[in-house]
Amino acid sequence: MLTVNDFLFYLLAAVTFLSGAGVILARNPIHCAFMLVVSMIGIAGIFVTLDAYFIAAVQMIVYAGAVMVLFVMVLMLFDLKHELKAFSKGAISGVLKLLSTGVLLGMLLAYIGYTFSVDPSFKPVPADPQHAMETTKEISSLLFTRYVFGFEVIGVLLLVIAIGAVTLSRISGGTHADS
Amino acid sequence: MGQDAFEITINVLKMLVIFLGIVQAVPLLVWLERRGSAFIQNRLGPNRVGPLGLLQLLADAVKFLTKENFVPEKGEWFFYYGAPVMALIPASLAFASIPLSIPIAIEPFEMFGRTFGPYTFIMQGYDLGIGIVFVLGISSLGAYALLMAGWGSGSKYSLLGALRASAQVISYELALSLSLVGILMVYGTFYFTDIVQAQAGPLTFNFLGKSVVIPWLPNWGIFFQPLGALIFFSATFAETNRLPFDLPEAEGELVAGYHTEYGGFKFNLFFIGEYGHMLVASALMATFFFGGYHFPGLTPEGVSAFWSGVVSGANANNILTSLTFLLVLLAKIAFFLWVFIWVRWTLPRFRYDHLMDLGWKTMLPWALFNTVLTAVVMFISHQ
Repeated sequence: MLTVNDFLFYLLAAVTFLSGAGVILARNPIHCAFMLVVSMIGIAGIFVTLDAYFIAAVQMIVYAGAVMVLFVMVLMLFDLKHELKAFSKGAISGVLKLLSTGVLLGMLLAYIGYTFSVDPSFKPVPADPQHAMETTKEISSLLFTRYVFGFEVIGVLLLVIAIGAVTLSRISGGTHADS
Repeated sequence: MGQDAFEITINVLKMLVIFLGIVQAVPLLVWLERRGSAFIQNRLGPNRVGPLGLLQLLADAVKFLTKENFVPEKGEWFFYYGAPVMALIPASLAFASIPLSIPIAIEPFEMFGRTFGPYTFIMQGYDLGIGIVFVLGISSLGAYALLMAGWGSGSKYSLLGALRASAQVISYELALSLSLVGILMVYGTFYFTDIVQAQAGPLTFNFLGKSVVIPWLPNWGIFFQPLGALIFFSATFAETNRLPFDLPEAEGELVAGYHTEYGGFKFNLFFIGEYGHMLVASALMATFFFGGYHFPGLTPEGVSAFWSGVVSGANANNILTSLTFLLVLLAKIAFFLWVFIWVRWTLPRFRYDHLMDLGWKTMLPWALFNTVLTAVVMFISHQ
């Protein structure tokens, strides 16, 4: 029997999968970026069906809301026809592309195999929406106690990226070269 | 959604009413905007069609609907048609998650020879339990409507307007989100109902280890977070792309920005989206900083006692009590909507670099300062 949750899962999984396929199949970079947005929203929807409301909202704010808006903006500013051609040619880049897709495919297949090894009768207890606050408190207390090291390291990583980006944009050369 | 057909029907109807409420508020707001601007500029405004010109907007809607439907030659039809629809989605989803009044408890009753109930209907579209975070997540999708319109129109002005608009929206989203952190810390929750409940009654706070009660002031968030309220309200002006932050549609520079190529009802949908964002911003302002549906002197018990003298029956009493608090919230929303209109016709537009400086170099640091200040004050007062 298909319950509402199952139906939602299959619907969202189909949306996520199809738009994900669209990201790599579409020719126009803008179309690819919008497909990626749809798949991000689909993933947020899947988090909702898993009662992970906070993660779903953060997925929307960070990925669908901030990261992808910047992607789309930057893509709109550049005319990417030449880069498209340059990226599609060349033996070295071809080998690299095959290699990276192969590694990714292997990881995905291993993970799908792993999900079959989990006890199929295991079902998470559905959380009451009004208790979403408590699960969020759990997440935050874990982040600030048990996983505080990883959490802080990611903060340092982001700081390094920010400083690196500022430094790169200050170096004269490239499009900012003084003529 | 509910246990039986009656509860599901009511819940579905409730969502429809909220959505239609947003859409129907727009003609009234446009009328208010035009008459209000006329009042501010010492003119008359639309006053010919119907009483006080109220039917002018109906005539406008008919005109919008009968206009020719077209796609620009260099545009992309999917983005061109999708953008106005996308403009409506974030505002209506966000508004439906804000609690509008106290829940209505319905006692068991007889209808069609069956007994229904008891039920409790919440006065909001749905209750996801994550309140603020959900609204921020949904409204961050608003930038896509602008980007889709800019790209789909295939016009330089549209594209430049869309880029400006989305840069502005994501810049001010930071200050907007950070200004709410103080509220999160004060109330210790992001659940709307709890935030509103915490603002009932007279002003109560801890000061140097003593509990202080000021009976002549309401327990509203504005007294705990004045700086947060100021930053939040200013940032919502930028988020809704209204003056003094309406750079995306600066007529002198960009014709009409991202909706240059739009006409007819598709243009009207952008309008509805903008006013929908204003509604959400006003409702959030009322919910976070002005007590939501609470008003000094009105308690659920008191209002219920008043209505029990007018109508008999517990169900009618509960419904009327809830509607009273709904009216309180609507009055607050109406006040903030008027402030939006008032500001639009009072202040001139910023220059673009001033706008970015204000967002990144003024509002963001002050929002961070507000967060730190709130933390320090709370640490001291909870000693």
